[in-house]
Amino acid sequence: MAADAGVQVTELGAEDHACLTFGEPEDLFDLTAAFVRDGLAAGLKVVWLSDASPGQAAGELGRRGVAVESAMARGQMTAAGWEGRLLSGPVFRADAAVGWLAGELESCREQGFPGLRVALDMSWALRPVAGVEELPEFEDGIAAALDGSTAAVLCQYDRERFDPVTLASVAGFHTRAVAAATYHADALLRICRQYAPPGIRIAGELDFQAGESLGMALAEAVRLGGDIMINMSALAFVDARCTLMIADAARAIASLSRLVTLRCLPEVAAGFARLGLDGIPGIRLAASGDR
Amino acid sequence: MTAEGRRQQIGPGGGVPPVGSAPLDQVFDGGSLYALRAAVAAHAAAAGLGRLQVYDVTAVAHELAANAVVHGAGHGRLRLWADGGFLYCQVSDDGPAVPADEAGEAADGAAAWPAEHGHGLWLASEVADDVGIGIGPAGTTATARFPLNPE
Repeated sequence: MAADAGVQVTELGAEDHACLTFGEPEDLFDLTAAFVRDGLAAGLKVVWLSDASPGQAAGELGRRGVAVESAMARGQMTAAGWEGRLLSGPVFRADAAVGWLAGELESCREQGFPGLRVALDMSWALRPVAGVEELPEFEDGIAAALDGSTAAVLCQYDRERFDPVTLASVAGFHTRAVAAATYHADALLRICRQYAPPGIRIAGELDFQAGESLGMALAEAVRLGGDIMINMSALAFVDARCTLMIADAARAIASLSRLVTLRCLPEVAAGFARLGLDGIPGIRLAASGDR
Repeated sequence: MTAEGRRQQIGPGGGVPPVGSAPLDQVFDGGSLYALRAAVAAHAAAAGLGRLQVYDVTAVAHELAANAVVHGAGHGRLRLWADGGFLYCQVSDDGPAVPADEAGEAADGAAAWPAEHGHGLWLASEVADDVGIGIGPAGTTATARFPLNPE
């Protein structure tokens, strides 16, 4: 089945075999955190395979407002490596990997969970692994295993590091294509949705020339509902006009009795404080660490 | 604005860099504002300013240059130099002058410009020690001054 264009990670459900492409680790962790958060909230069992240790994985999720320690302790959440699951040493075999997934589905049922969510960081396939040519077979096997199940699988591919031919060869096996909604992306500036915690993320250098993209992103942040984070941790510069636009959006959100967090570098925070945003009920100016 | 700043205000014609002393002299347009900011930041840091002050000088340089791009000739020239314990940032363009009411407010540092056009100048007047605007037949020159040893 061909992948749908552009579905949000928060819209995934049972039987979805989704292909997440990401451009930077921040995207990967953000989208994974949303996938894990929604799965745990629905009472599902959640498994995330990556090269991060369980502690590192919990740390990345925790920083995004998804506390997983208790879920890990009670067996609802597993963060683990690829070894013994997708890989056996430097060897990949599609049938063995599909067998691991079938085993997870079986144990999920036995443990009484209503469903399973699996996130698979696929960067192992960039390593010198024997049998990597069986990757399309593995993706096909996942699709078969999910048919009629209550499980969803999110395969995570780094679009900067995987070659386009490999990405194209596996895309067809997925039912959904997932990526961060992006309002602006060039060498200087990236403005995209943030999923965990909900909001938008602005990185790079922002000035009036990107005012239209910023306006669209801020309008979405107002529409999202609930508490919002405008994550500017990696924003090195913002000009007066865009500072004012962000401040106006923050005031608008706060006036709806919602909490808006502006996370930014101290020098950027000073610009918001100059506009009187410091100390307004509902607006939190949170200085992030050094670049 | 500090008391010292009031005592040594920049004249309406803007400051003039001492001959041969401008360490940064760069032309710009809308497509090169990023490169301009990077150059200003590097020179402000080299002049001995701390991280927050470097950001402020860069922000003011950007706003003055953006004014030349949006409201002036569409391009301009930025000069940055140190003199007598101050760092001066001067932006000149040969385009149509900004409206007199805006320029007048900029010159005496008053607030309450319309946000769309005047917020950058408001920021400059808030952040810099002094701002001078000169308007003549040859175009507009805006000069902002920062103490090199802020308290």
